[in-house]
Amino acid sequence: MELTNQIILLGSAVLLASVLSSVITRRLGVPLLLVFLVLGMLLGEEGPGGIQFQDVQMAHLFGSLALAIILFDGGMRTPFSSFRVGLRPALGLATLGVVITAGVTGAFAAWWLGLDWLMGFLLGAIVGSTDAAAVFSLLHARGLALKQRVGATLEIESGSNDPMAIFLTLVLVEVLVDGGGHMGFTVLWEFLRQIGLGAVLGLAGGTGLRWLINRLDMPQGLYPLAAMAGGLTVFGLTAVLGGSGFLAIYLAGLLLGNRPLQASQYINRFHDGIARLAQIGMFLMLGLLVTPSELLPVAVDALLIAAVLILVARPLAVWLCLLPFKFPWREQVFVGWVGLRGAVPIILALFPLLAGIPQGEMLFNIVFFVVLISLLVQGWTITPLARWLGLELPPASQVVQRVELDIPGQQELELVGYQLAENSPVVREHWTGFTLPRSVRVVAHLRDKVLLDTLDMLDLRAGDYLYLLAPPQDLPALDRLFVAVEAPERLSDRSFFGAFVLNGGARMADLSMAYGLEVPPEARDLTLDDFMRRALNTQPVVGDRLQLNGVELVVREVSGDRITRVGLKFTRG
Amino acid sequence: MNIGELLGSDRVHCTAEVSSKKRALEMLGEMLSTRLPKLTTGEIFDSLLARERLGSTGLGHGVAIPHGRLEGADEACAALLRLDRGVDYDAPDSEPVDILFALVVPTESSEEHLQILAVLARMFSDPETLARLRDAGSTREILDLLGRWSTGDGD
Repeated sequence: MELTNQIILLGSAVLLASVLSSVITRRLGVPLLLVFLVLGMLLGEEGPGGIQFQDVQMAHLFGSLALAIILFDGGMRTPFSSFRVGLRPALGLATLGVVITAGVTGAFAAWWLGLDWLMGFLLGAIVGSTDAAAVFSLLHARGLALKQRVGATLEIESGSNDPMAIFLTLVLVEVLVDGGGHMGFTVLWEFLRQIGLGAVLGLAGGTGLRWLINRLDMPQGLYPLAAMAGGLTVFGLTAVLGGSGFLAIYLAGLLLGNRPLQASQYINRFHDGIARLAQIGMFLMLGLLVTPSELLPVAVDALLIAAVLILVARPLAVWLCLLPFKFPWREQVFVGWVGLRGAVPIILALFPLLAGIPQGEMLFNIVFFVVLISLLVQGWTITPLARWLGLELPPASQVVQRVELDIPGQQELELVGYQLAENSPVVREHWTGFTLPRSVRVVAHLRDKVLLDTLDMLDLRAGDYLYLLAPPQDLPALDRLFVAVEAPERLSDRSFFGAFVLNGGARMADLSMAYGLEVPPEARDLTLDDFMRRALNTQPVVGDRLQLNGVELVVREVSGDRITRVGLKFTRG
Repeated sequence: MNIGELLGSDRVHCTAEVSSKKRALEMLGEMLSTRLPKLTTGEIFDSLLARERLGSTGLGHGVAIPHGRLEGADEACAALLRLDRGVDYDAPDSEPVDILFALVVPTESSEEHLQILAVLARMFSDPETLARLRDAGSTREILDLLGRWSTGDGD
């Protein structure tokens, strides 16, 4: 009795402390996951907490579970449109990239530590994958919007590269335990089974789960649970049959999140929370598991291995894998740097321990240290680096209050609330002539807690509340009217895209006429869209830019593969 | 180059009713032709319209800067039209436009053209300037307001 209550108190206090610490760390820019990991270490056997936790089996169970939930949520949040630009480069990175990273890091580790080659490669494989939890928590952080090519590539890569690292690790552990009796075709077969079963069962499971949820009639609170249980069933089934459960649950989440789904806002909100809980829990637990004093003896080795991994192996792998896709160099540098290592390597480092490989303990400690360094060095510098490389985009929506209305069988509608401020555009510019998008209705206009009788909005003042009924696609237009621009000047729409908007279909000859620009004769008959796509030499995304004597052309809107709108920015004056 | 000097008091108009984007551009053409004797209203209008085909010159927030390079224009010159009710202008934010600033430059001065446009873009993205422009009671007030803006080099 007494113990139960103590455990509940301790657990909830730790969770509360973790949640609250996220508020502080966001201001400091410290990577959140690092905080949880350190918090776990403080609570552990050698910190003030003094909790003994050495159960590798249990750590593995909860770690895998947490990872599955995080990948499920990540899949649900990845829009299909990301795949247009991100899929092919990401697939290369998720397979070949992992092998190259693991190979280079492993070769160095074997040479430096004087290990058997296979042990070296095992270490490389364990730290070979980019961590989904870390990347998702970074990319979905408030206030960082990245160019789509970079964001999509990293998101899909980190969501789909764990199977490869897990597979490499499992195979190497098996070979080390069995003495390498069956290589060759068996290994290839194993690989194909992992990927194939993972993909097939993930897609089938996702489709089936969606079908099921859309046909169920139950209290709203149960839908998210059905989704999570279904997703984890897909994970378990695939893994039991010998496929990659992580790939399967990521794909299932992807299908669920991208197709119309009953009660989707409840499901999304629930999974947002549960995925955060999984992150906190997993990193706390892994922090508990490690014995900090055992890290010190391997510190120098781990530091060197981390340096090779971060500065040589990952950039080399990224460069080779992205070669066919002609990413601009800035974007390559960024993708190379965001090779964040997180929970997956630590969980994978449990495999050799579970298999009873003699040097497993040392391997685990090195891996843990490498992850610490990666989270510290890379995690802390990613946002400034994105800014420095010019890969940020203007933020999309800043609505104050929004309630999604789940009207059965209707188009999506939301009730959105704005509080007008002194610097809201409509107030600040004395702008009364604006019109609302066609499908938006004003529901209420409040001043000093009183509902006004008229809804014509001719007299808008700071402090007023406006409530409107609007479809989600109209929110950016409403934001432009009512929300004070808080983005830094360099990311305001005007300084990012330039003042004027040109049509993708405009002819280059006409453009040259209008501004006296020098356009090569062979380009005169091209449209602006053709011209820019040729010059950019890669699949265009919003934010790509091109210099042309005295002006800059910035891609502003892309539809399919075509550039539909281009910003015109004056670089002088 | 001072923005107020580009305008001149006879080329600032505040008017109640304009029915369409086309009509607004015609009015601006008429205003500009008083200063550009070699050009007809039609030629100026055609030039402004040709530029609109490349993409609306609306900046958003109810402002538009129609502009054109014209052979036969002796100097850079501008006209301003303020409307009580905005017209549909196909602007990027889909909002009607109630402030139009038209600019015409000679073909040979493309460098100057880009400089003036850059200043105009900066000027019309300043919320204070927009508010005072919308509140201004007289042509004089508008000229004073815009006279504070000029391109960096020269006078």
